[in-house]
Amino acid sequence: MRLVILLAAFFAAAAAAQDKVAVGIVTSLTGPMAPPGKFQMNGFNLAAEEINAAGGIAVGGRKYLVDLKVYDTRANPAEGASAMQRLATVDKVPVVLGELHSGVAGAEAPVAQDYSVPLILTVPTGPNLTEQGNRFLFRVNASNDQLNLALVDFIQKQGWAPLSFIAWNNDAGRGGVNGMKKLLGEAKTGYVGYFNVGEVDFSSHVSNIRAANARAVMLFMDEEPGSLAIKQLRDAGLKTQLIGTLAMGSDRFLKRLDADRLDGMVQYNAFPPNASTPRIRSFSERYKKKFGEEAHGFAAQSYDGLMMAAAAMQKAGTVSDGKKLRDVLAGLEHDGVIGRIRFDAKGQANPPVYVTQWCANGTRRILYPESLKADCGAG
Amino acid sequence: MAAALLEQVVNGVMTGSVYVLVALGMVLIYGVMHVLNFAHGVLFMLGGYLCHFFFTRLTGNYALAVLLTMAALALIGAALERGVFRPLQGNLRNQVIASLGLILALENLAIAFWGPNALQLKVPATERLVALGELRFPLQHLLIIGVTATVVAAMFAFLKWSKFGTALRATSQDRNAARVVGIPVERMDVASFALGTALAALGGALVGPLFLVFPQMGDTPMVKGLAGILLGGMGSVPGAVIGGLIIGVAESVSTLFLPTDYRDSVAFAIMVLILLARPRGLFGVRARGEE
Repeated sequence: MRLVILLAAFFAAAAAAQDKVAVGIVTSLTGPMAPPGKFQMNGFNLAAEEINAAGGIAVGGRKYLVDLKVYDTRANPAEGASAMQRLATVDKVPVVLGELHSGVAGAEAPVAQDYSVPLILTVPTGPNLTEQGNRFLFRVNASNDQLNLALVDFIQKQGWAPLSFIAWNNDAGRGGVNGMKKLLGEAKTGYVGYFNVGEVDFSSHVSNIRAANARAVMLFMDEEPGSLAIKQLRDAGLKTQLIGTLAMGSDRFLKRLDADRLDGMVQYNAFPPNASTPRIRSFSERYKKKFGEEAHGFAAQSYDGLMMAAAAMQKAGTVSDGKKLRDVLAGLEHDGVIGRIRFDAKGQANPPVYVTQWCANGTRRILYPESLKADCGAG
Repeated sequence: MAAALLEQVVNGVMTGSVYVLVALGMVLIYGVMHVLNFAHGVLFMLGGYLCHFFFTRLTGNYALAVLLTMAALALIGAALERGVFRPLQGNLRNQVIASLGLILALENLAIAFWGPNALQLKVPATERLVALGELRFPLQHLLIIGVTATVVAAMFAFLKWSKFGTALRATSQDRNAARVVGIPVERMDVASFALGTALAALGGALVGPLFLVFPQMGDTPMVKGLAGILLGGMGSVPGAVIGGLIIGVAESVSTLFLPTDYRDSVAFAIMVLILLARPRGLFGVRARGEE
């Protein structure tokens, strides 16, 4: 008996003394980006849990458990830069992941380069981020340019012209509209209306869209204004085809409105949680079991990001050398939940972009890419 | 085009009605106490939140929830007058600063209570659509216009024919003379604040189901309401009504001819133009004792 207790104590001590590697996380736990931040953290937590349950990261004959060092950057560039600096100098992490806000990521990236710590973005979509020649910056998710390219391809195949827009009066909205206009051509663009953050009355856009006889309307915005705009367009009796962003293809969004008003709307999507692809299905099941809700693209991208970082540490044989880690990441190929991830020379991955459509019963089907087409309930 | 114009006029009258509710309250308080209460927008916002609370948690009856909201905000308004504005009486500058401070305090209080994200106030009864020719409007739209028209009419009757209303007008014309004839002017202060705040609350409670309830929901109505007051003539009740409606309709109709992001500029450009022509606003009169 005493021997058993002694042995148990010994193993407990051994477990407690097991090596750990701290991995930096920058995200939003509070502030305006807190809700998407939760999805991102769920992805990281799930990945860390699975890595640790499998014994940790094997480097140089030892196993390292992942220990997430999380900083709340609150959608604030100054907070982001200082968190990044702290992670590099005080916590001395070999790699940092996360961020939601492109502006904050833009402030963090130069710090990552200064201290030679790879920064793997998993959510921000600002196209410029990977155009700065920063060798320490990687992005798992598709940029706005990639999303727009796929969406325009889809819209052109449908022959939806003229296309009207309602968009944020900011970088994301104006950038998105200009990007799509360039791809579509001026002739196929209809009414373009901008609204300021915090504006809730879309009635003027509704009148203009009706007057412009738009075949389809692209809504460049997130959940809150999106739900208001759709409600006001549909209540005014407009039957125009609606096209939305990532934020509008989730069950959460359905709860804000109703299947009636959403029926037929399409939106680009980085991750269809109900797709029959085995890797997506398995991830969605594990996610639902742990968090009790539908899996989200931000979680899948973040999960893949951390899994890649772990694979890179294993392959590079280091848990401290950021430079070595960077070089391995640059050449790494990873079969992730969202698809095959491989960074190009600018550090940008090229994951598949989907277009999903709302069905009358409140489920979604996949329309694009053609090869992954699937009916209601799959999107 | 005719349909679009009609649609925008109806929309404009609706947003204008909301500005009118805000402007009426501010004008009432300004008239009696000569304080511009910049916290009026956050009181409007509190109206939205309290209505959400009363409707979803307590009664489930929208009309009752709106009335409860107005009563609750009237009490809060009276408390603010006693606790914040009365101690600073005679010091206009500090009263204005206090009202600016109230914005920060109340807005953050709302965030602490209800969180930073917008709440949805779903009132199924008023979501019904009403057809007007080929156009359709949610019932809530027409409700806002109807309720505001009723409130404005009641307000005029109250100020003109009731004893209390006459006392309010007397106090706003000359505080000392009012006191001489036996009007309890301090009580008029409390009453104007309670009434004004209840009107702001009504605005918030009416707009909530149409849009969303969020911490900054009162910002635009407050600024536009203020523009309506200046346009109509500082301190004039009919001026506040006409001014609010002009701003609402002008900015809505302008979006048919100008990019929608010029909407706010149009509202203020009209205000500036009218003030250039009539420096005291449409209904402005030189108040007694004013320079």
